[in-house]
Amino acid sequence: MTPAIEIESVTKRFRLYHEKAPSLKERVIKFGRLPHEDFWALRDVSLAVNAGESLGLLGHNGSGKSTLLKCAAGILRPTSGRITVRGRVAALLELGAGFHPDLTGRENVYLNGSILGFTRSDIDRIFDDIVAFAEIGPFIDNQVKHYSSGMFARLAFAVAVNVEPEILLVDEVLAVGDESFQRKCLARIEDFRKEGRTILLVTHAADLVRRISLPSANRPTPSPRSARPSSSGVWRCPTRRSRARSGTRRTRSGSAPCASRPPNHAEVSSGPVIT
Amino acid sequence: MSTPARSTVSDLTDTAPLPVIGEDRAARPGPLQRLRDVWAYRELLANLTRKELKVKYKDSILGFAWSLLNPILYLVVFWVVFQIILGAGIPNFAIFFLAGLLPWNLFSISLGSGTTSITGNASLVTRVWFPREVLVFAPIGANLVHFFLQSLVLAGALLLFRLAPSAEYSTLLPFALFTLLLFLGALALVFAAVNVYLRDTQHLLELLLLAWFWMTPIVYPFRTVADRLGSWSWLFLANPMTPIVLTFQRAIYNQVDTGGGAATGGKAINVGTGILPDASVLWYFRNLAIVAAASVVLLGIALWLFGRLEGDFAEEI
Repeated sequence: MTPAIEIESVTKRFRLYHEKAPSLKERVIKFGRLPHEDFWALRDVSLAVNAGESLGLLGHNGSGKSTLLKCAAGILRPTSGRITVRGRVAALLELGAGFHPDLTGRENVYLNGSILGFTRSDIDRIFDDIVAFAEIGPFIDNQVKHYSSGMFARLAFAVAVNVEPEILLVDEVLAVGDESFQRKCLARIEDFRKEGRTILLVTHAADLVRRISLPSANRPTPSPRSARPSSSGVWRCPTRRSRARSGTRRTRSGSAPCASRPPNHAEVSSGPVIT
Repeated sequence: MSTPARSTVSDLTDTAPLPVIGEDRAARPGPLQRLRDVWAYRELLANLTRKELKVKYKDSILGFAWSLLNPILYLVVFWVVFQIILGAGIPNFAIFFLAGLLPWNLFSISLGSGTTSITGNASLVTRVWFPREVLVFAPIGANLVHFFLQSLVLAGALLLFRLAPSAEYSTLLPFALFTLLLFLGALALVFAAVNVYLRDTQHLLELLLLAWFWMTPIVYPFRTVADRLGSWSWLFLANPMTPIVLTFQRAIYNQVDTGGGAATGGKAINVGTGILPDASVLWYFRNLAIVAAASVVLLGIALWLFGRLEGDFAEEI
């Protein structure tokens, strides 16, 4: 089975420029090259997520989780390496990224849908679901700038999870709305998993990964097409220090989750499924 | 969860094509593939264009009427200044001026907003993937709508002054507009991409557009300059905006010199000073075709350059 997300020895280098703006003279002397330091956010990272799998990325601040997700989403271009993504992607990197404050909720839903690559008729079909999910009621025809931050986040999340992407990239955005809405978001992501969609999730909270990504004992077969039942697991981003030291290739093949799990995986995955 | 039955992945894969993002990062998609990507996202282009229009006149009572007031004011001012106060020179100068100004405004305003379109939409560029060209083309689409609205004013003025545009030369107008959009699109892509790295671009562009405006025969007639240049007048035509503006003027203003009107073909008693080239449709078409061909090449280069620079937009922005 071909993986839905295939990341092959991806390296991402950021250039950190010094704060002081160089003079024109300095620029000319150095042929426009500015003094900078290289920062390696990702060094030779490889992993694959099979279709129907859910994978959680754990790691400290600055360990490169979000960079990896942005590379997978096509927002950042890796310095080297290959990334192949097969399927329609919805990236929840930040909620409401495409929302314009002056437009109404309704207009923003259509705009946001088309940013994610969906047509008007696609959105027409799921529009009522989105409004119902966001619990926003008549406010849908108000300008978004008058929304409370909770309403804003709920609508943004509702669009992202109702457009039915094949692959969902999530970056710690689940902490929106009140507790009942959070539960609903988690339930929806769990639905995604059961429907055999692919999820790559970044989080700080290990228990979140356990709840979302780990299959229950009576795991449903995601779709008749996929040869294997869905599997899932946790892939830990190396800490900055360990990466700098080793720079080794870390591979996590999703098709054999038990064999190649990083050592930390067991403690996280052994817990019960709470959904 | 009270949601209706949702399709599964297998349903989706049967219907929807599976776009592959970055199959090979070393080989970036070529210009043609980039255009296909934009086409696939045409709905987003339409939505962003609609957004620009909505946001511009939002909360204003007159709304789109503001688009019309601008050329109306130009008409009135130029009519008063050139027809009544100065009372000389080019007959119906306001019409002549507006015929050239509308395509120029489409060009310069779109190029200005196109250049800042990537930097101005940083929140989108750093968070969502879609063909970035769409961001550059959206303000062009919005200004195209304004252009058509303002053309209504020009049409009204022609009725009011009882002037007839040339039916023969008007057949060139769609091609002239197409050429303008081609050239504009290519240039906007280059400026937008470079502006991400060098913010000086947008300030430089303001100066460039000012100089360019005066190098294009909009306020003054083409032949005032071309006749003096003599055999060097082709140099004047090398400005890609000149053949475009000339076509609009020839078709709408429809008068080649101050003496006799071309529409009536009347032999002027005193041969007036020349305004527009007294040339055939073919001559106008040939000039446009050269610009169009050059613009296609430029668009290819622009898409290639945009693709080269696009990869680091999200971090440089």
